[in-house]
Amino acid sequence: MPAPTSPTTPPHAPDAPITRPRAQVHFGVFFQGVNHTTIWSDPESGSQTDFASFERVVRTAERGLFDAFFLGEGLRLRETRGRIHDLDVVGRPDTITQLAALAAITDRIGLVATQNTTYHDPADLARRLASLDVLSGGRAAWNVVTTDNAWTGENFRRGGYLDHADRYERAAAVLAVARGVWDAFGDGPGEVARVTVPAADLRTPRDLVLDVTTPRSPQGHPVIFQAGDSPQGRDFAAAHADVIFSRHGAVLADALEFAADVRRRVVAAGRPEDDVKIFPGTAIVVGDTPAEAEEKARWVRRAQVTPATALSIVGNVWGEDLSSYDPDGPLPAHDPVVAELGGERGSATTGARTHEIARQWRALAEAEHLSIRELVIRNAGERGFTGTPGAVADELTRWVRTGAVDGFNLSPWIVPSGLDDVVEKVVPALQERGAYPEAYEGTTLREHLGLRAPLTRRALVGAP
Amino acid sequence: MTHTPLIVGLDVDGAGSHPAAATVAGLSPADLVGAARLARTVRQAENAGVTFATFADALLPAVAGSPASARLDAVTRAAFVARTTTAIGLVPQVATTYPEPFHVAAQLASLDIAATGRGGWLAATTTTPETASAYGRDPVPDLGREARDVVQVVRDLWDSWEDDAVIRDVATGRYVDRDRLHHVDFVGEAFSVKGPLITPRPPQGQLVVLAASGEVAPSARDERLVDVALVGGDDVASARTAARGATGAGPDGAALAVVDLEVVLDADGRTAATRLRELDAATPAGARTGWGGGPLRYSGDAAGLAGLLAELAASGDVAGVRLLPALLDADLPALVSDVLPALRAARLTAAPRAGATLRDTLGLPRPANRYDTRPRAGGRHTLPTTATA
Repeated sequence: MPAPTSPTTPPHAPDAPITRPRAQVHFGVFFQGVNHTTIWSDPESGSQTDFASFERVVRTAERGLFDAFFLGEGLRLRETRGRIHDLDVVGRPDTITQLAALAAITDRIGLVATQNTTYHDPADLARRLASLDVLSGGRAAWNVVTTDNAWTGENFRRGGYLDHADRYERAAAVLAVARGVWDAFGDGPGEVARVTVPAADLRTPRDLVLDVTTPRSPQGHPVIFQAGDSPQGRDFAAAHADVIFSRHGAVLADALEFAADVRRRVVAAGRPEDDVKIFPGTAIVVGDTPAEAEEKARWVRRAQVTPATALSIVGNVWGEDLSSYDPDGPLPAHDPVVAELGGERGSATTGARTHEIARQWRALAEAEHLSIRELVIRNAGERGFTGTPGAVADELTRWVRTGAVDGFNLSPWIVPSGLDDVVEKVVPALQERGAYPEAYEGTTLREHLGLRAPLTRRALVGAP
Repeated sequence: MTHTPLIVGLDVDGAGSHPAAATVAGLSPADLVGAARLARTVRQAENAGVTFATFADALLPAVAGSPASARLDAVTRAAFVARTTTAIGLVPQVATTYPEPFHVAAQLASLDIAATGRGGWLAATTTTPETASAYGRDPVPDLGREARDVVQVVRDLWDSWEDDAVIRDVATGRYVDRDRLHHVDFVGEAFSVKGPLITPRPPQGQLVVLAASGEVAPSARDERLVDVALVGGDDVASARTAARGATGAGPDGAALAVVDLEVVLDADGRTAATRLRELDAATPAGARTGWGGGPLRYSGDAAGLAGLLAELAASGDVAGVRLLPALLDADLPALVSDVLPALRAARLTAAPRAGATLRDTLGLPRPANRYDTRPRAGGRHTLPTTATA
């Protein structure tokens, strides 16, 4: 293997001290499914639905000793101004069902199911997660997400029943049901315990009273992931989560600041500061030379932002159909016709002020002479790590050893081959540096992540 | 003489179908529900040529307060064996009473995708009022009507993606044709669902829906909601009568009738009668599910069971049986070594073909999509051919 060449990923925060000189890099993989960063137009892109695509990715990840395979959830198809959004990959399996099928063909890798606390019944959710955890031999995790979106609620019995301010209270109550279910079963012969949670906590019509059927798995409880970035979301993670799936995976200074904030909150919640692991979502692009890597990264960015996608993203801000505009031409001369983002339903940016965004975009486009498509690509910003395998390995190692992160949740831009370079090139480079394990040491996800016992079981098992 | 092979279903839940099975089996909860036992049991059934496996389920313990009631979610169990099997149908029991129909539709569609078209759904009502409390809800007043609405909307959601909705049209940048995705806009008695589903149409188009005869109220539309009716009876004659009553060409009739058959065989050097007495004596107080009452029952030696199945096969009224072994560890070995080989040798049954869908195996056609209004060759649509692109 050639010696590492100079990195093309800029060394942000070059003075950040190494605080954990022996820390190891960990990887998860996020099989995304539903946004424009998954490239479907390339001949190498396979089916997004067939089980074989999922199988290929999970087997590649397990070969690369990844901690976890991660599936997202969206409970209503995205719409643009009342019509189903048609430009991006869409249509994905129920997460727990799919992970159960994958559990049977894997041995070690963790299986992370994103599940919404608003529109899942806690009794079903806790039991299904426990079922996955038992059948996988202690490899399940739950990525806890919330919503108050009444539009999504149109697919469910209760519709938009939950106020915005209550979404994290409901989430905490649902998690309490789950912890109760996972703690309920006796370790030997004995009685089946009962879980009771007041209606007011759950926002249900009546109190929940549930007798439990699921024994515990080898890891005790499924691991809890949390992905919300708001102050409320961070506090929820500090109080309840084992792992944060963060958005701070492109700029080291930003990741360090986030990590410091999380640790303050974790300590304030009465937990050891290393009790919550941080895995930012990010992407890795490697080439044999820095120039080749840069060229590939440019190709990825352009393929992710097709002409139609660029017009759709700008049209979402302008509040109108701009599909007849020239994607290689300038932004519309007129101002947005709506005041707030909201035309695209099911995305995370609903509610932002459009005129402010338009003003910033126009200034940037004029300063740098950017077309609509170039502007959207430019706005996508830094997505992660680009360079030779050695340079990327150095940078990933530095991130972990400065304490900014504990690992990375990688989003392949193409399925099913998008993880091959990482596993075949970056993992060996990390191993040469003593910064990546040579084999799985444990069998459960909790062991892979180096987590303590589940929060509600520490007193029972005498864990630190 | 040609004939249709007898369908042989098998319930693979837990320790067996008798309420004392878990107690008598003496397994720890972890061993009872563990992956190894599940995969082995279903593989054993597949190797013996069983047509489909059902996974009985309920949210609450079968025996209140007993650790012998350990049980995992049925869809999750069925999905776990989707890739360890290639031919057998996988039919989890999922309640129509309290779970969210949107989730049920997505879970079952995903099972069918993972199992490449071998998924089914045993749609079952939940009668225990304690289950309402487990959801923090009031009890559902009309179980049959709720079951009708849930099965109806799940079927609508399975069709909410047309088969060719994913177009990957690079020229226009469109991944899907939004005209082939459909809001279902279902409005039932107690709930409404917008759609479309988050999961594409399953390989079978519609999974095979099984239900106990009479549990699902007839469709408010002119549509068959149940493909396979499960019937019981006190003897062969009454089971045949029930089967005739449950099937029919109209929307109220199922396409096929399958007889639920409780089975206790001579095994482990003891007679079936002795074993059944022991099981009955060991039945815990407070068992929520009974043994006897609905299904037909056979207790005796393997040859007698083979004879009974041959009699049912010859009757013409029933399409098959679903075997409910009293104690899996005792009765399944006897079934796979002594009963099922004899039936296959006599060509009364046929093992499902690897790669066949459950619909293929049962002889049920793959349904057209209810939302597809485009003309097709030989179809029921009569638009002029010039409308065909």
